Amino acid sequence: MTTALIADDEPLLRSQLRARLVTLWPELAIVEASNGLEAMEIVERDGLDAPPDICFLDIHMPGVSGLEVARRVRELARASTDDGHPRRQPLLVFITAFDAYAVEAFEHGAIDYVLKPFEAERLAETIARLKERLAREADSAQASIEDDVIERLAQRLAGHGTTRRTTLQWIKASVGSTVRLIPVEDVFYFHADDKYTRVITADGEALIRKPIKELVAELDGARFWQIHRATIVNTRSIAGVIRGQKDSADLKLKGRPETLTVSRAYLHLFRQM
Amino acid sequence: MSSSPLPGADAPALSVDRDHSPFREGGLLEGLTILRVGWVTLIAVGVDAAVIWFFDNEFLDLLVSTLCVGYTTMLLFTMAGNLAVVRRGLIPREAAQVIAVIAGSALGTIVTQLIKGRALDEMFTERLSGFVATCGLGIGFGSIVVTLYFYRERNARAQAELARVQAEMDATRAREEQQRLLARLQLLQAQVEPHFLFNTLANVQHLVETDPGRASLMLGSLIRYLRAALPRMREHASTLSREIEMVRAYLEIQRVRMGDRLQFTIASDDALRAAAVPPMMLISLVENAVKHGIDPLPEGGHIRITADAFAHGLRLSVADDGVGLSEHMAMGIGLGNIRERLETLHGAQARLVLTENAPRGVTAAIELPLAP
Repeated sequence: MTTALIADDEPLLRSQLRARLVTLWPELAIVEASNGLEAMEIVERDGLDAPPDICFLDIHMPGVSGLEVARRVRELARASTDDGHPRRQPLLVFITAFDAYAVEAFEHGAIDYVLKPFEAERLAETIARLKERLAREADSAQASIEDDVIERLAQRLAGHGTTRRTTLQWIKASVGSTVRLIPVEDVFYFHADDKYTRVITADGEALIRKPIKELVAELDGARFWQIHRATIVNTRSIAGVIRGQKDSADLKLKGRPETLTVSRAYLHLFRQM
Repeated sequence: MSSSPLPGADAPALSVDRDHSPFREGGLLEGLTILRVGWVTLIAVGVDAAVIWFFDNEFLDLLVSTLCVGYTTMLLFTMAGNLAVVRRGLIPREAAQVIAVIAGSALGTIVTQLIKGRALDEMFTERLSGFVATCGLGIGFGSIVVTLYFYRERNARAQAELARVQAEMDATRAREEQQRLLARLQLLQAQVEPHFLFNTLANVQHLVETDPGRASLMLGSLIRYLRAALPRMREHASTLSREIEMVRAYLEIQRVRMGDRLQFTIASDDALRAAAVPPMMLISLVENAVKHGIDPLPEGGHIRITADAFAHGLRLSVADDGVGLSEHMAMGIGLGNIRERLETLHGAQARLVLTENAPRGVTAAIELPLAP
């Protein structure tokens, strides 16, 4: 008997797909997963409790995305081939509501996809293709194209969704009993003070434990300059430079009365050339 | 750093072979330009003319002296500025150059006497007064010229620094302006994400087949949400009750979609129903809480929306117990947009404050002045 997994975090859409499949392909046995982790457990099953023949994977799921589940499926298939006990890899069908990028990646036909809301006609085409592929033996050329599509899709979605930058964007600072989240662009400057680092913003001061050395490594170097062993300044808050005696200079700030000292080692930042 | 007396006069004076020439950058005679020689000649002639006017001397004779002293001083002055010990900062450049002026004047005077065919020993005996006079004049005028030069160079350096910092700040400002425009554009575009819309419609479609009563409720929520969310930026203000209604419609749709993974409560002070608030801000915060706070968690979470009086104004807060905020997560166009608009509308009287919740999650609060 052919088995299929439906992985989607939206319960109504899961049952809609199930209802459609039951009508169009009555002999199909269906299991459901309400998130990526559950889907992962199901595809990793082994032995008697065989993994499904077909996986319908929603691309956007909390925790583990459909793409990650697809990657795992391919990984398991490769591992079983290397073991010398090749087992059939589940056929993959992605589910998406609207994703221009994703749809474009699927157009090449290596991996099938269905759009939400599920249309009976479109789903029938997919089912016909699935049946045809199930009748054939698994072919490796197809598998490598699938790997390719999954990776390309992952890259596109990574560039499109919530971007995780490597530079520090938020400062978590204790103010009284609460932890304030301060956007780094709001910081005038950081100044080392004994065990703590003072964070000076328009709203006042806050203390953090992260030392200047770590901050320098994590902050965007184009916007934040270290000007002293104990000071990092936001270039946006620099109002002007006053040449000090010999090997130092003083920075005037916008919106703050105090000046900051630029020590000799960092003077080059303010030199011409 | 250039040591030419005038900015923009850095062309090598005589040599073409830049690699080995002493005039090259870093060479011993760097900065000795035609312009500099010209200046010294001009000053020498000028000094000459002045001295003749005062002391009634012979012009040519005196010109030889002044040029000798002038060129020697210039040469030593240039070399002193380019010495390795000076370049490395072991000896202050100014000190080396002052010594060079004194030594140059003395040496120049000696060279003058030699050119004029006088015996060296005479210089320090019967002609000592003449020697001292020439030497003294050299040092005197040299000092004046060098002082002016120092002053000028320092000014030029300060100007260049200022220009550079200014340019840096202009670039930052241009970048900010661009971001502001982008934010405004994004706000003008439909706020409704196609992903959200299609997902919702898929849910409605299924409910029509299975539970028409709930389908109708969900369609009602969608209509209320769309009515509020489609662009209406010409309106500068909305009322709190309208914004709350929109948030409720949005959350109700999301609750159908996400099932029991999403819970929410809305606590709004009835006395503030008609209060003027900028449109689309509260919904942005709620969307963030769902998208970045609750949705990434398989077990879901709770969102609490509060609107209450605060000091002399109004506070709208959205608290979730979701995944929280990574220190490295980009602020996102939504939050940046709110900050931007608050500043334009109310300046320092309004702000967006983000705090971390215990044990997890984020509270985003907008504080606004109450319109009279």
